[in-house]
Parts: sequence; structure tokens; C-alpha cells
Amino acid sequence: MLRKAIVKGSIFLFLLVFIISILNPLFILKSGYRSKQVEGLYNHPGDSYDVAFMGSSHMQGGIDPNVLWHEQGITSYDYAMGGQPLDVTYYLLKEVLKKHDTPIVVVDLYYLGLTDEYGDEGYVRNTVDNMNLSMNKFNAILNCTPPQDRLTYLVPILKYHDRWKELTMEDIHDDSSTSYFAKGFESGTEKYGKDYSGVGLTTESVALPPKTEEYLTKIIDLSKKVGFKLILTNLPYDYNSTAGSESWVKEPAKMFNKVAEIAKENNIPFINYNDKLSEIGFDFKADMHNSSHVNIWGANKITKDLGEFLKENYSLVDHRSDNKYAQWNVDYLHSRIASILAEDKSS
Amino acid sequence: MLFNSIQFLFFFIIVTLIYFALNHKMRWAWLLITSYFFYMSWNPSYAVLIAVSTIITYLSGLLIDRANNIRNVQRSLQLKKLWVFLSLASNLSILFLFKYYNFFSDSLASVSTYFHSPIHTPSFEYLLPIGISFYTFQALSYTLDVYRKDVKAERNLGKYALFVSFFPQLVAGPIEKSKDLLHQFDEKHSFDYVRVKNGLLLILWGLFQKMVVADRLAILVTTVYNNPSDYKGFEIALATVFFAFQIYCDFSAYSDIARGVAEVMGFRLSLNFKSPYFSKSIKEFWRRWHITLGAWFKDYLYIPLGGNRRGKLRNYANIMVVFLVAGLWHGATLNFIIWGALHGVYQVMGDLLKPIKVTIIKTFKIKTNSLSYKTFQVLVTFMLVTFAWIFFRASSFTSAVIIIQNMLYFNPEVFINGSIYELGLGKKDLILAILSIGAIFGVNLLQRTSSIRSTLLERNIGLRWSFYLSAVAIILIFGMYGPEYNPEQFIYFQF
Repeated sequence: MLRKAIVKGSIFLFLLVFIISILNPLFILKSGYRSKQVEGLYNHPGDSYDVAFMGSSHMQGGIDPNVLWHEQGITSYDYAMGGQPLDVTYYLLKEVLKKHDTPIVVVDLYYLGLTDEYGDEGYVRNTVDNMNLSMNKFNAILNCTPPQDRLTYLVPILKYHDRWKELTMEDIHDDSSTSYFAKGFESGTEKYGKDYSGVGLTTESVALPPKTEEYLTKIIDLSKKVGFKLILTNLPYDYNSTAGSESWVKEPAKMFNKVAEIAKENNIPFINYNDKLSEIGFDFKADMHNSSHVNIWGANKITKDLGEFLKENYSLVDHRSDNKYAQWNVDYLHSRIASILAEDKSS
Repeated sequence: MLFNSIQFLFFFIIVTLIYFALNHKMRWAWLLITSYFFYMSWNPSYAVLIAVSTIITYLSGLLIDRANNIRNVQRSLQLKKLWVFLSLASNLSILFLFKYYNFFSDSLASVSTYFHSPIHTPSFEYLLPIGISFYTFQALSYTLDVYRKDVKAERNLGKYALFVSFFPQLVAGPIEKSKDLLHQFDEKHSFDYVRVKNGLLLILWGLFQKMVVADRLAILVTTVYNNPSDYKGFEIALATVFFAFQIYCDFSAYSDIARGVAEVMGFRLSLNFKSPYFSKSIKEFWRRWHITLGAWFKDYLYIPLGGNRRGKLRNYANIMVVFLVAGLWHGATLNFIIWGALHGVYQVMGDLLKPIKVTIIKTFKIKTNSLSYKTFQVLVTFMLVTFAWIFFRASSFTSAVIIIQNMLYFNPEVFINGSIYELGLGKKDLILAILSIGAIFGVNLLQRTSSIRSTLLERNIGLRWSFYLSAVAIILIFGMYGPEYNPEQFIYFQF
């Protein structure tokens, strides 16, 4: 009798898990973040990129893979997402590495300044809920989310079930392919109109917050272990924009000086664009969307500079004349039209 | 640890697996430990109170038993009555202190202030121990059963302690009599596939009632009842009818989960609800609603008072006493007393008006067997019960009065201009709430004539499993739970 119960119980549980696994993606929020991650990670298994951009909103709106393609013929994808903490970035990077063995990986370190144990739930969910079931997802849940929420990350319907009343055809036919041309890039079109406040420029350094330091070390170690080329960046933002925040380091400038030291010790390039503003002709008033994010014109300047850095320092093949990459030219044009439309809308 | 929580799911799985793995002689000890763990998960200090009640009633059993052996009949009876009195007095004192002391001392202070001779009584700050009314009544039933020789005195303190604290029914019933439950802890329960499946089905049905129905209805009820002066007419009427189903589904859910959990392990707990809203009279309602509490009052209060054997007037007085006490049992507020009194008055009035009713039926040749007459009776009973619920749910007497006043307002436009969707439940949620009440009604209707579980078990496996899997999926999708949502506490915990 016990044997019968175990066999039948197991089959029942298996069927239940199967049904839940079908329901989960139906109920998960269909955001732009979901689209870019699913497209960049899972929907184009044949596409391989030379460079992967990782990080938070600074990187998402700061580097345009289509500009990089147009300028240098380098293929890339911008996996960065708004508010993504560095621990989540680490597990997402491991998932990215499943698709690309040894790309060049550029990680923006704005979120190195987070002093909280865990990132904001919504931001963490944008990445973790949209990862396929894998050890990386398990580890991300285990290390990047508070214990009381972990089950709902593992079984997202527990979180999203109340969406039953707002489900649309978009949830059923979850097609994000139309967003693929942007290669993960999304930037603002406002012009900040203010100068860099200059707060915090210094040569001193401070210790990093313990958890983000741990994950920076993990990313560096991973690059050595797997053998990919790692580049660290800090894209332009006003260090004063996080002043007063309880969950952020008090002196970001000193934190990035510390990063420079760590990078030097490990022979890893670190480009702090806050220190290169005049060198690349970056106009804070015109090239920032707000005090913390660059706009599409700023992204253009940074992408061009980074493209030259990549071209000069890494032996990357220019694919522009290769017919296999013809779609990249189409996508570039698509992205230009989208940018022009966005500029028109904002003006 | 709420029944509709992940913690309870894990607790239940672990307790059950180890229960069946243990030698049956050890099982009571395991259940006792886990029952105390379950109770202490609310507040560890509560355990002291339940332990005190347990020891007092345990000793009363032994002492009554010893008094039985005294040859002098008069002396024996005197002693037995003394032990019963001491057990009742001490247990009811604890209950009074924790549940009613502040109500009575505040009332006394108000009355004395009114007569310009204020009395100062010390206040007593505490957190009401969960389920104290339930386990106190269950423990007292033991003293009384031993006194009446319905059960033998239990020698094993551990097994007796388990009877008082058995976790499935500890905090909200069913209130079991010792003669029904105590001996079950000596039974050997083997793993029975069909029984376990039946128990799990009952749990599933309980979760549906609680998570999909009761907690959804609660949103609209809370919105209206928290600010009754903001709402009128049909808004209040809808909230009141919803409350009738909220409290039923909530409480019935708890009882069903309790019975299901016990059934999985081989224990049989009493049925607590039997389609109560299909009752054709208030008297019948009380045979179908919270059956175990009704039975307790009938056995240990109504019948000892004389029941209906001492004339009409005494019978009416007995009914009123029982229902006033039943009202007070639910909580120390004027509203609960009014609620109880209303149910007493309904029954007394029903009896007094009987001759008039018979005359009307004869004069108009009304067929009392017809469906329309029965439906009329059911509707009238439902309306009377629902009216009384206003006092049960309203936060104060003033609030109840506002609700009744504001309900007398004809505003059908709320169904057209969309304001009915502004009561906390949007259009889709409101439709789902009404559909789920329909589902409860349908199931209750079927339960009157057949056993749904048995009917289901006769179907083929494909149909059965589709039903089970759909039920889990429905609860997962439409249940009210999750991090964004604080589950309403099971309403009956506060009693």
C-alpha cells in the first residue's frame, strides 16, 4: 500500500510540477527586461557575440551595440538591466558564458556602491525570474534574494498569480523577437542641462562594501578561470546623485579609486569615464539624461571611445564585410530609425 | 502557523511522515511534542496556560474516579461535585481573566462613573491566547464526562495532554468530547491509501474555501465594515451577504483542514458544518452550524438547565441563557452578546408565532412540502442569520447601528455606475467572488444528498486526477496569498 502511495504520489507530483512549469512563464510579468534577456540569452542560440556588456542601467543606456557594430564591426549584446545588483550580474554572467565561451566581458561597476545585503526585489526579479531553470538560477536565488522570498523565485506563479485578471494575448504568445535589433540597448532622450557637480573628486580610496567586493572578486576570479577578457568600467554619472542614500557608499569617488587599485593588481583594464569626460568630448549638460544616466548622444560618444579601445587592445575581427553578419547592418538601420523617432518624440 | 501557510505544509508533511515511521506506541508522544510546538509557534508562553488547564482537568478526572470508589454514596457524590466545581471554577476563571476581565471591569467602571461613584479596577494587559475558548471547553468536557461516567479517567497524563492539545483542532475546533477522541490515541493507525487520499481531498477543499473564497470576500467586507458611514444600501447589503459567506467559508475551511489532517493520520474528528445556509429554521441552523459547539452547550448547559422538560417559560429562559452565553463565548463585547441574544429571540419568537404560522398555512392552503415554500423558509432563515451577522462583524455597537441605518437606502445605480467595483474588489474579482459563492452553494447542495468524495472516487483515474490537478491549479492561481498579501487570520482564532 505504501509502495502504491509512493508511486502514485510521485507521478502526481511530477504532473503538478509539469503544469506549474507551464503556468509560470504565462504569469511572469512581460517587461522589456524580460524581452532583452530572453532574446539575448535563449532565443538566438546561433548568434555569438564578440563582447558582452554587463551591469545596471548605466550600462544598459550607456553602450549601444549597434553603434559599436557600425563603427568597428564588433558584435556585442548589452545584458545590463536597470537596478541590477552586482551579485545578480555575476550569476547572469555565468549564464551568458554558457552561450559564449570566451567573449570579452565589460562590467560596469556602478552597483558596487550598494551596501544592502540584497537588491530591490523588482530589479532582481527582472533578471532571476527570466532565467531558465539552471544551477545559475538556483545559485542566484540562494545568494541574491532574502530567504523568505526564495520559494517565490523558484516558483514564480506564487508571486505573480494575481495577474490572472490582467493576462492578455501578449502573455500567451510571448513574442519578444521584435526587440532583438536593439541588442539590449535602451537609453533616455532627455538633456540633463546641468554641469557635473564635481563632488568627490579625490585620489584617496576606501574599502568596498563587503558583499559587492565579494562579487567583484568572484567576477575577476571567473575571468581567470574561464579565460575571458574582463574590462571594468564606470560610466559617467554625478557622484553626488547617491548622496544621502542609506543603502549606498558615501564616497563613490574613493570607491572607484579602490577599484583602480584592484584592477591594477589583477592586470585588468578599468576605464573610469568620470575621469575621461573632457578627453572624449563628453558634455554633461547635453550628453546626460539626468544626473545618473547618459542619454543616447552620450551613449554614442562612450560607445565610440570604447570601440576604439577594444579595437586597439584586442585582436577583434571586423565582421562588416562578412555576409554572414548582414542582419547586423539591417539591425543598425533599425536602431537608427528608432533613435531618430525617440529624438523627435523628445524634442 | 496558519493552515494556509508554507510553514504548515512542511510541518504537516514532516509530522505525518515521522508519525507513520514510528512504532505506534510512541506516536502519541510525537503528536504531543508537535502539538505543543504548533501551539508555541504563536507564542511560547501560551503553552503554560494550556498545560495548567490540562493538569487541572487531568487531576479532576483522577479525583472523581477515586471518589467513585467511596462506599458512602452521599460522601462520594459530594466529593465528585466538589472536584467538578473546582475544575470548572479554575478553568473558567482562567478563561475569564484572559478573555472577559477587561470587558467586565471596563463596563463596571463605565456604569459606576454614570452613577457618579467611580470604581477603579486594575487593568490587565495581555495578548489573548489563541484558541483558549476551544481548548478550555474541550478540557472541561473531560471533567464532566468522567463525572457522568461517560469515559474512564485517563491515567496517562501524556495522552490526556494530547487530547487537550491535538494540533489539528487545537486553535479553532472542532471541539471534541473526550468520549469521542481520547480513546482514538490508543488505536493503531496504519497507512491507508484511500483514507490518506480522502484526508488530502478534504484539506484541498478547505484551502479552496479559505484562500479562494473567504479571503477574497474579506476584502470587500473589510472595506465596507471599516468605514460603514461611507457606504449605503446595496453596498452594505452586498458586504453583509459576503460576510455571511466569508465567515462560513473561513470557519468551515478550518474545520475541514483540521478533519483532513487528522484523517490522514487515522483520526476521526467531528463534522462541524452541514450546509448551514440550507436550514429552514434557526433551530435547524444551529444543528448545522458549528455543530460541535452547539452540541457542547446542549450537553453541558441546556440539558442540565432543564432543556424543554420544565415548561414553556423555563424552556425559553434556558434558550436565552444558552445563546447569551454562546454569544459571550465568541468574544467579550456587547455586539457578540446581541448576536447571541438575537439567535435566542429568533427561536423563542419562532415558537411563540407557531400557532399564527399554522393558521396562515391552513387558511391559504400552503403546501409545506413544495419547493417554493421550502425555498421561502431557507431565504427567511438566511436573512435572519445574516442580519445577526451584522452585530458579529461590526467593530462596535454604534457601527452596527450605522450599518443598519445606511442599509435602508435604495441605490440600485451602484451596480450600473461602477461604484460596486470600488469596494476593494475590481470587476473580475467580484465576478470570481460571486462564482465561487455559487461553487460553495453547489457543493453544499450536493452534500445534502450524497458524498462528493465517494462519488469522485468511483470515477476513472483520468477524470479524478484532472479534478485534483485543476483544484490545485485553481487554488494556486485564484487563491489570495503571497508576499504582497497578508492572509486574513482565520476568523475563529480569536475565540
